[in-house]
Amino acid sequence: MIEAAVVVTGVTKTFPVPFKRRSVLAVRDLSLRVDAGQVYGLLGPNGSGKSTTLKIILGLVAPTRGKAEIFARDSTEVASREAVGFLPENPYFPKYLTGAETLRFYGKLCGLSSRALTKKIQELLELVGLTSAGDRRLGGYSKGMLQRIGLAQALVNEPRLVVLDEPTAGVDPVGSREIRDLILDLKKRGITVLLSSHLLDQVQEVCDRVGILANGELVSEGAVNELLAVENQTEVVFEAGSEELTRQIEALINTAGGRLIDCRKSRKTLERLFLDVTLK
Amino acid sequence: MNPVRAGASHKAFSLDRIAAIASNTLTELTRLKVFYVLLLFACVLIGSSVLMARLSFQQEFQVLKDISLGAMSIFTSLLAIVATARMLPQDTEDRIVYTILAKPVPRFEYLLGKLLGVLLLLAISTLIMSALFLALLYSREHAALAATNRQMAGLPQEQLHAALQSIRDSTFNPDLLPGISVIFLKACLLASLTIFISTFATSQIFTVVVTVFVYFIGHLQGTAREFWLQGHSAGWLARTFLAVVALLFPDLQLFNLADEVVAGAAIPLAIFLKTAALGAFYTVIYLLFATAIFSAKEL
Ligand SMILES: Nc1ncnc2c1ncn2[C@@H]1O[C@H](COP(=O)(O)OP(=O)(O)OP(=O)(O)O)[C@@H](O)[C@H]1O
Ligand SMILES: [Mg+2]
Repeated sequence: MIEAAVVVTGVTKTFPVPFKRRSVLAVRDLSLRVDAGQVYGLLGPNGSGKSTTLKIILGLVAPTRGKAEIFARDSTEVASREAVGFLPENPYFPKYLTGAETLRFYGKLCGLSSRALTKKIQELLELVGLTSAGDRRLGGYSKGMLQRIGLAQALVNEPRLVVLDEPTAGVDPVGSREIRDLILDLKKRGITVLLSSHLLDQVQEVCDRVGILANGELVSEGAVNELLAVENQTEVVFEAGSEELTRQIEALINTAGGRLIDCRKSRKTLERLFLDVTLK
Repeated sequence: MNPVRAGASHKAFSLDRIAAIASNTLTELTRLKVFYVLLLFACVLIGSSVLMARLSFQQEFQVLKDISLGAMSIFTSLLAIVATARMLPQDTEDRIVYTILAKPVPRFEYLLGKLLGVLLLLAISTLIMSALFLALLYSREHAALAATNRQMAGLPQEQLHAALQSIRDSTFNPDLLPGISVIFLKACLLASLTIFISTFATSQIFTVVVTVFVYFIGHLQGTAREFWLQGHSAGWLARTFLAVVALLFPDLQLFNLADEVVAGAAIPLAIFLKTAALGAFYTVIYLLFATAIFSAKEL
């Protein structure tokens, strides 16, 4: 059996509302499992409990009921975070530090030696494309740059599990494509990735498995390919065809007992267009 | 996957991590404008003590020491409270605390690192102010010695020596350093208290107000307790109550050794050690209280 990177069992979380009797239910009886080496996406509308779930997994928030484990270690143990990297949503980092100093600080917290860090910092800055900005203060970083330094910070201890809360929020399409490539690269290196997002097509591109949360409940869960496959339909895309060819194909489908549902000109996505015109 | 790190064991307590947090906190605090404003203000006050001292003819050095030590005491206390009160709320608001605690950092180490950062800042400012104060005292002493030498040129050697010696005695007595250390320790205690209060406070203002409140009660409580104990026979209930009060409101009057220093009286070693131990005790106790609350806190 494949090792589990994250196991969440029956987690419920309620937040008390100050000065009121009632409380907010953020997550209800949630169970999920992320296999090692997978890219897992948590989806859901605003306020559906994605961030809360991730914080419970990281031991930043204690569940009201149930428990969470990382590589078979309870999340409440500090040691469970040994092999984890985390990028919170909209992160801020100390403004007065430079990019390299930030990475050094977080590396020290992971118990890395100064010597090992000097090399590691260069690698990471290169990985996230901030080599030239490494000695500038974060106060002058753009939102996308902050997101990338946050990503580098999450990778400083060579984690086996990387948890990303909305990694592409506020990042332009080029940047989010780079982040997507980075996630795929992590996956190739055998690192488990657990991310939350509400940008569905991006999730569709990178994730092996998704779980969809609504009002704190897991309403759908499964492998992306299975969830999205439409039973009994096939798409055909071809180039340099004529109207005549299309008619022939339609006739062929009809004689074979099938039914043509839709026939249209292929369009590129807006993202593709954006990338084509901005990357010149 | 990295097989080397996968089996690495986690250290339950690491000085490296604490040092990293402390030095980061110190950097953060030295970017605060309020620090420089307060420091400048204290230095101006210490500097102006020379002028005020010269107006009071006989007790020049007493006044100089009185004002300078008073300025140091108020400045370090104020800095301890103001600088510490904003630390935890700021980190939570900026979500920096998430990134730190998502690393294998125990919450105790986080608080300890933060506190040590403030204590370093307090130590640095105490050093700066002491240097200024001692330099002024030294230069005034020299001026006074020279003046005495001139005035008493014709008098017998013994008389001159006695006069010079009395000036020396009233400037640098060996109790200056213990006196300054106790001022520093009081500030440490207040910083630790402030961290403790900020772990459950809902706002920065609340923290500052409560700490200042405790500060004043702490200065009055010694007198109040004596008064109370006189009127009542202290049963175990009363004793417990007083112990709790003493724990929550430390007797800050005990840290006012400066008066004795100013008067030139000696601080007995035993008293100094007792006060230092008390300061260290409260600092540690408040840090432990803070850890207990912070560990259970939702972030
Ligand atoms: N510290 C807290 N105190 C009180 N309520 C909270 C707290 N944190 C989250 N909640 C509540 O829990 C619910 C889930 O919040 P959460 O941040 O997990 O949602 P989310 O799915 O991450 O949303 P978004 O997409 O906007 O980031 C919300 O109703 C929120 O108001
Ligand atoms: Mg969220």
